[in-house]
Amino acid sequence: MSAVLEVRGLCKSFRGLKAVSDVSLTAEEGAITGMIGPNGAGKSTTFNMICGFYPPTSGQIFYRGRDITGLRAYQFADMGIARTFQIMKPLGNLTVLDNVASGAFFGRHKAKSLSQAREIAEGILEFTGLTARRDVLAREMGTPDQKRLEVARALATKPDMLFLDEAMAGLNPTETEDAIALIRRINEGGVTIFLIEHIMRAVVSLCGKVVVLHHGEKIAEGTPEQVMNDPYVMEVYLGKGAPNVKG
Amino acid sequence: MFRTIFSSTFRRRAAAALALLVAVMLVLPLTLSGMPYIQNVFILAFYMTTMSLAWNLLGGMTGQNSIGHACFMGIGAYTSVLCVTQFGMNPWVSLPIAVLVTAVITGLVFSQCFILRGPYFTLVTIAFAEAVRQIILNWDFAGKAIGVGLPYVRGNNWLLFSFKDRAIYYYIAFAMMVGVYLIMKRIDNSRLGFALKTIREDEDVAAAIGIRPLKYKVIAVVISASVSAVAGFFYACYYRYIDPNIMLQSASVELVLPAIIGGSAFVEGPLVGGILMVSLSEYLRNTFGGILPGINLILYAVVLIVVIRFRPTGILGWYSHSAFRDFLEGRVLGRNMDKNGKEAQS
Amino acid sequence: MDTFLQACLNGLMIGGFYSLMGMGQNIIFGVMKIINFCHGEMLMVGMYLTYVFHAWLGIDPYLAVPLVALTMFLFGALFQHTLITPSLGTHSFTNLLFLTVGMGVLLTNVAQVIFSSDYRTITTGYSSTILSFGPVTVALPKVVSFGVLIVISIALFFFLKYTPVGKKIRAVSQNPIGAQVVGIDSKKIYMITYGLGAALAGVSGALLTLFYVINPTAGSNFGFRALIVVVVGGLGSIPGAFFAGIFLGLLETLVSLFIGPSLRTLVVFATFIVILVIRQNILLRRA
Repeated sequence: MSAVLEVRGLCKSFRGLKAVSDVSLTAEEGAITGMIGPNGAGKSTTFNMICGFYPPTSGQIFYRGRDITGLRAYQFADMGIARTFQIMKPLGNLTVLDNVASGAFFGRHKAKSLSQAREIAEGILEFTGLTARRDVLAREMGTPDQKRLEVARALATKPDMLFLDEAMAGLNPTETEDAIALIRRINEGGVTIFLIEHIMRAVVSLCGKVVVLHHGEKIAEGTPEQVMNDPYVMEVYLGKGAPNVKG
Repeated sequence: MFRTIFSSTFRRRAAAALALLVAVMLVLPLTLSGMPYIQNVFILAFYMTTMSLAWNLLGGMTGQNSIGHACFMGIGAYTSVLCVTQFGMNPWVSLPIAVLVTAVITGLVFSQCFILRGPYFTLVTIAFAEAVRQIILNWDFAGKAIGVGLPYVRGNNWLLFSFKDRAIYYYIAFAMMVGVYLIMKRIDNSRLGFALKTIREDEDVAAAIGIRPLKYKVIAVVISASVSAVAGFFYACYYRYIDPNIMLQSASVELVLPAIIGGSAFVEGPLVGGILMVSLSEYLRNTFGGILPGINLILYAVVLIVVIRFRPTGILGWYSHSAFRDFLEGRVLGRNMDKNGKEAQS
Repeated sequence: MDTFLQACLNGLMIGGFYSLMGMGQNIIFGVMKIINFCHGEMLMVGMYLTYVFHAWLGIDPYLAVPLVALTMFLFGALFQHTLITPSLGTHSFTNLLFLTVGMGVLLTNVAQVIFSSDYRTITTGYSSTILSFGPVTVALPKVVSFGVLIVISIALFFFLKYTPVGKKIRAVSQNPIGAQVVGIDSKKIYMITYGLGAALAGVSGALLTLFYVINPTAGSNFGFRALIVVVVGGLGSIPGAFFAGIFLGLLETLVSLFIGPSLRTLVVFATFIVILVIRQNILLRRA
């Protein structure tokens, strides 16, 4: 497996305050890579830098060997990179179908007409299990469906790599299982996935590799089992003197 | 888009009704030939609706609220009049020049100003419009506060775009409005339209799916301003005289109201709001204007406030969810309905 | 030199009004994040109220100030509670914007229907008294009005800083959700805030009546300048609004003096656009 994404020495300061310092990581082609860490660890900041939403203070980002540091967010879709947002951002006054169709119009499908865009969108709604809700206004749906819609819209840009920012936050256990299954299916279709997640069960069952952030620094990297047994990670998550948890 | 405004059965019948309506609109001026005042009301309504449609591309579809559209229209009107009076051009030649000048000016200015979001963008449109008005007020070439007029032309003259017969202006204005509506309708269902609507809903999402917000916002303002310039050209040719007051903020406000009242999320919103409100307002102005000047604007404001308070999605937004729709489309136009008033499954 | 000093003094006087208008706009914008597009019209209403109190009831314009303030506060609170608050959150920024725009159109035209568009003035025994300060002269009402508005500005500053209601207004303005969490009734604060903004606009109008013509569109000049003051002076800052207003007044009169009165508005508006764009560029770069 080769690294499709490589991040080297990424730093970000907000008005002199270091939010992320010297984070390096890789994501391998076709794999699911997870990023975890307590609140305020700098996960979202790192994520937003990789996706072009914030320019990094220093450091480099490579995608398929190409230096993409400093590219703007709207240039990512054409390279086959899509993302979802932690705080869901549905296109509220558009129907679910048109939310996804707007993704199909841009990204890499570049649909020529509305009927073509909607046809692509229908397929994605089917895949993500939203078909029944196609004519509902996006803002009228609940959290689970909006989370799903985030993924569906990202998929409509036909990505090779998908960034999921807490796609399962706020879901109940059953819905979480559904989301895990969906992410696995997307991955099986050949899409490389990089995700931030708080729900450890999802991370353990999905990710081949996990990166742990704390206070803006990378403190561990490895398989979920390795990471969970790392004494420093346990200390961060559970406090000093926590009993050893066997993976 | 909200729920499709009209059901499919209704749409077929509505198409017939619409064709009939268009036919009536086309025949109307012939029957009104003795009533130039009523023809004038219609011409004004078509003109205002055209402007409102232009505004709605930027305001309703892209979510960038401009209160400076009278200025775009004014730049177009002034450019064409000055081309005719100062450079001796034919009005038809001045039209593309007016559109081009307006497009270039707005493109240049707003490519810098679109980093401003929400209320700050609105402020810039107001300041821009006032600045342009002040330039004209201080510019000898443009007639300062007195304004500029087109030369008098006898009879109907297509070459010089001047008609003694109001009916011709009526047809031109009607064609302009319908043409602009069709363009907007097309944009609404196109890639461009989806880019604009996505930007309206959320610029971060737009960027995440590969839309460059700045680029599309500039495209929207340039199209919107160009259409306004065409309307400005028509305005100048119809009234034969323009002064800087056509760019007042109150003029910019007035042309937004039909879109909000009709429903700014719909391409048809300005159409419905414009025809309804301008006719009503002109009727009031004519009937009570002598005793109570401003009564028409009071009505405008009251309707606007009531609509925003009670039907925030405008007349069409309300219609698309109303029992009246079910009544009209079911009973009157014969859609299949079950006893709950819901459309029967076919 | 004398003309320069005179221009500065005039700028200072008119700038005081921009400040007062800006402060009202500032707290409204700060708390509800909406531009109040009828702010200038509320000033105009304040002028007519003063006119009515004076012409019909014989109340001196300065004694009418508290009455105008109270009336406008009630009007503002009512407008906020019945129309703006229900539209907050439920719908778009566009609707809120045009709600206040619509109110402005309504106020202007109602004034037109009641009072016609004739220019009206108020004359009192002291309104043409001229004071001289060395080489410069100024009408007595201008000095009194300026004094009153300075007092009001300072009072407003301390009100927001130290009183419980003022603290709540600032809390809602900085973090509406946080304010709700600690139990602040935001709807009530919205009412008070908008009422206060309306009262400040009305008082500005009342203070202007002795040396400014009263007509239905008298407020439009002040309305937009209040917005300039908010943007330049910084959101949520009363001292910022105060100095921005004075600065704007001075800028206008000095531009009139050195470049020409007819270019005054153009220079102010063009400067404003440039300031907005540059400021935003700086903000974006810092992020």
